[in-house]
Amino acid sequence: MKNNKSKTRTAEARKEKLLSLLQKHGLSIYDNLDQGKFPQFVIPSRSVNNIVYDKKLRQYILGNSNAVRSARNMSQLRSYTQLAWLAFFVNRLVREGKSSTLRDIYYSSQAFSIDFEDQPESDNIIVDLEAVTSSPREDFHIFPEERSSVFGDLTIEYTVPGYEGKRMNLSDHPDGYLIGPSLSSAELVDTSAELVIAIEKGGLFTRFVEENVHKKFKSIIVDTAGQAPRSTRNLLRRLNQEMGLPVVILADGDVYGEHIAMVIKSGSANAAHLRELTVPDAKWLGVWATDIEKYKLPTIPMTEADIKRIYDLQKDPRYQEGNWKKQLEVFLKLKRKAELEAFSKYGLTNITDKYLPAKLEESKSF
Amino acid sequence: MSKETFSQISPSEFFYRNRDLAGFSNPTRSLYTSVREFVENALDACDQKKILPDIYLSIKAVDAEQSDPKHYVLTVKDNGPGIESKHVPHAFGTVLYGSKFGLKQARGMFGLGATMAILYGQITTNKPVTVKSCSDGKAADEFVMLLDIQKNKPVILKHHTKESSRTGLSVSIVLEGDYSKAGSKIRDYVSQTSLITPYASITFEDPSGEKFHYGRIVKEMPPAPTIIKPHPHGVDVETIRRMIVDTHYQIPPVDNKMIEKVKKELGHKKSFTTKDILERAQKKWSDLSRPVRTIIAVMSFLNVDFSGLQKIRIDDLDVANKKITYWDFGESQSHAIDLDPESPYYKQLANTVQGDTLLTFLTKRFQRVGSTTAEKFCEFAKFKPERRIGSMTNEELVRLADALQKFENFLSPDPSCLAPLGEEPLSKGIMKFFNPEFASVLQRSASAYSGFPFVVEMGIAYGGDIPAAGLKVYRFANRIPLLYDEGSDVVLKIVNEMDWSRYKVKGDPPLVIVSHICSTRIPYKTVGKENVADRPELERELKNALQYLARKLAVHMSRQGAADMAKKRANLYAKYVPLISQFATELSGKKKEPNYNS
Repeated sequence: MKNNKSKTRTAEARKEKLLSLLQKHGLSIYDNLDQGKFPQFVIPSRSVNNIVYDKKLRQYILGNSNAVRSARNMSQLRSYTQLAWLAFFVNRLVREGKSSTLRDIYYSSQAFSIDFEDQPESDNIIVDLEAVTSSPREDFHIFPEERSSVFGDLTIEYTVPGYEGKRMNLSDHPDGYLIGPSLSSAELVDTSAELVIAIEKGGLFTRFVEENVHKKFKSIIVDTAGQAPRSTRNLLRRLNQEMGLPVVILADGDVYGEHIAMVIKSGSANAAHLRELTVPDAKWLGVWATDIEKYKLPTIPMTEADIKRIYDLQKDPRYQEGNWKKQLEVFLKLKRKAELEAFSKYGLTNITDKYLPAKLEESKSF
Repeated sequence: MSKETFSQISPSEFFYRNRDLAGFSNPTRSLYTSVREFVENALDACDQKKILPDIYLSIKAVDAEQSDPKHYVLTVKDNGPGIESKHVPHAFGTVLYGSKFGLKQARGMFGLGATMAILYGQITTNKPVTVKSCSDGKAADEFVMLLDIQKNKPVILKHHTKESSRTGLSVSIVLEGDYSKAGSKIRDYVSQTSLITPYASITFEDPSGEKFHYGRIVKEMPPAPTIIKPHPHGVDVETIRRMIVDTHYQIPPVDNKMIEKVKKELGHKKSFTTKDILERAQKKWSDLSRPVRTIIAVMSFLNVDFSGLQKIRIDDLDVANKKITYWDFGESQSHAIDLDPESPYYKQLANTVQGDTLLTFLTKRFQRVGSTTAEKFCEFAKFKPERRIGSMTNEELVRLADALQKFENFLSPDPSCLAPLGEEPLSKGIMKFFNPEFASVLQRSASAYSGFPFVVEMGIAYGGDIPAAGLKVYRFANRIPLLYDEGSDVVLKIVNEMDWSRYKVKGDPPLVIVSHICSTRIPYKTVGKENVADRPELERELKNALQYLARKLAVHMSRQGAADMAKKRANLYAKYVPLISQFATELSGKKKEPNYNS
């Protein structure tokens, strides 16, 4: 049984850190106004030429250039106020333990005479606050609509109001547990698992539970539901960092599947302003391009968009070497792809009985 | 009298046959032109006597039930000097009879248009014209008349006199018109006239009975133009011929004043017979003034006394054929009498007719020609300075006219004959008319083209009550609004050539340009007098005026822009700072809001 190594209450600490940061910004604005000065926010620039790949951190990060958003500038006054409002509103959300969605934020603004023209504008201000505080929006209690699930022997302790201190084991319900606000803010207590398997598809997730993969491989199974949402990526990271579990990824045998694995491992350019969303040691089990031939999987032809995506990724610094580079090249050569379900050609349990053990074995060597 | 083998047509008949030329081509245009002619005559009359004009215009349908085109009664009343009773029949019943033959700026040139309108009314409705005039503030004469088109003379149907305490003239005609089509132009004409004549009060009552009243905006009349002589560059053969013929009108006009003068010079007596007059004149001949000598010479040939003299009008004195032709009002017919070359009075008349020497003619009859210039010109044109101009042949006159055009040492024309409105009245007119947020006016100094002086006045107005419907140009020439043929006008050309974006004017601006060209002769492109030709001298003046005003506007626009920006800024901060303050207070955990107003 693995316990939370650090013994610190991570979720609580993150919350306190964010709240004090917000208060610091609030004080700064307050003092400026009181002294008759124009307050301002310094926001790390998210423009393309300020996004760089950090080899040491193994993720995209923002460079050194900053943008100043000042109340002095008439054209920035409106967006400055929006940002100040969001900081204020997030402060309330976090303090009161309430959660919200991107759409919710857009509407909530109207109660405070803050007028966003449309949701993209409010979404953008949320990213601004993420950059200012270096925290993901999930820390602000703002969640996207898409949800993914987790299943396995993991005990958590809620921190949300009404459930504080209540514990729960995530293997009690075979459909898995939604990775929502309460789970994201829960403390991870202990687990008997030795491995985390992230899988791209809900259907396969259910199959894995049915086939007792969590028992056979002593694992926690996470359904990423396509490209993993940030809360899921953050949970994967915490399982890796706090519980010391290795993370492996199973995705479709195409360029998107390869990139799902890459984003879990080293983040996306869109989230270059955020840390703690990556699992640098995560391993991409498959389906590799080379597996398609090796396991004689039924395939479907790639579309032009698929091929264009390969060319795009070949420009990404993370695909310049090793297996990542090699698999892209093979995909390009094959011009065909195979989904995880393709193993069903050889029986419904083929993927859990044959492929998974073989790949886990293989993964020990990379 | 020489026998006529060709039938001659009278001026009235000529106009009747060519009425299209004068703006009477159809019922719509004719109604508009008639309004213009009468209103402009009324304003001109008031201007001449420095009377602040009160003009009343009404158009009434004879039968409102009929559909257009139909008969209308057009009435224009003014508070001008009126016309002396005895001149009324001729002034309104004869074509080419007028008081405006001097050279100065006036709206109409010769007063022909009003007679044309009367003629047109008579042609289309066969109704007489009614003229009421009071010139002395005691009695008003009312005439009801028709024109005898063939004979070019009035036929008086009714005449009566009433008491009246106010001078003024009222003309009323019945004509065929189409108000449903002409109405908007007529209303534009009246309103724009009030803009360029801010010292006038104008009331217009339309066929429906609706009254449009334009009150007086300024109480002072602009300085009146002085009548001046023509500039040598501005005359052609015909004008010279007319000037020479004018010399024989040194047979002075015979009015009461002149008769008094003759009587005075002869020595007063209760009554003069013709014989008495001639006897006395012979005794005193050397003491008599030239006009008096001429009158007496005429009386000797016609064998009339003073009362007889008042019943006639001298029409022509033909020295070559030794004939004098006159019009007898009583008999209403023309007479010709042979002149006896042996008579001592013949020389007096002949000299009068042969006129001045060329040198005197040039210095006396033209503006800004001194004897030195005149002598130089004679040398240039190869004429003897002492040559009498009345004796010049046609060929010589053509040569003279040609030389007058070509000689370059004449001084530039005298602008004192012009009557621009002036910057202040123009500005007040614009402010009242458009109620703009910004306005500026400019009067350029005088310039000249082909011997005709002209002055450009221009105004610009922006914003305020002006609708943002794009640039609109109001064109005026000699205080007349020009409403038709806008597209081909020189002012429009200049305005359209401007790069307005350089003056911070964008999109469909609420912008108005008022352009007023004053000249003794506006270079109209067509007889209709609605569009001005693009003379280079005129173009240059218009352009300079427009650029000056546009620069003023640009300064205003920048200031306005800065003020708008400051206002916008203040509004923005008033909206957002309290919000920021509210958020910061809660975020920082403070109880009291920061004091950001200081």
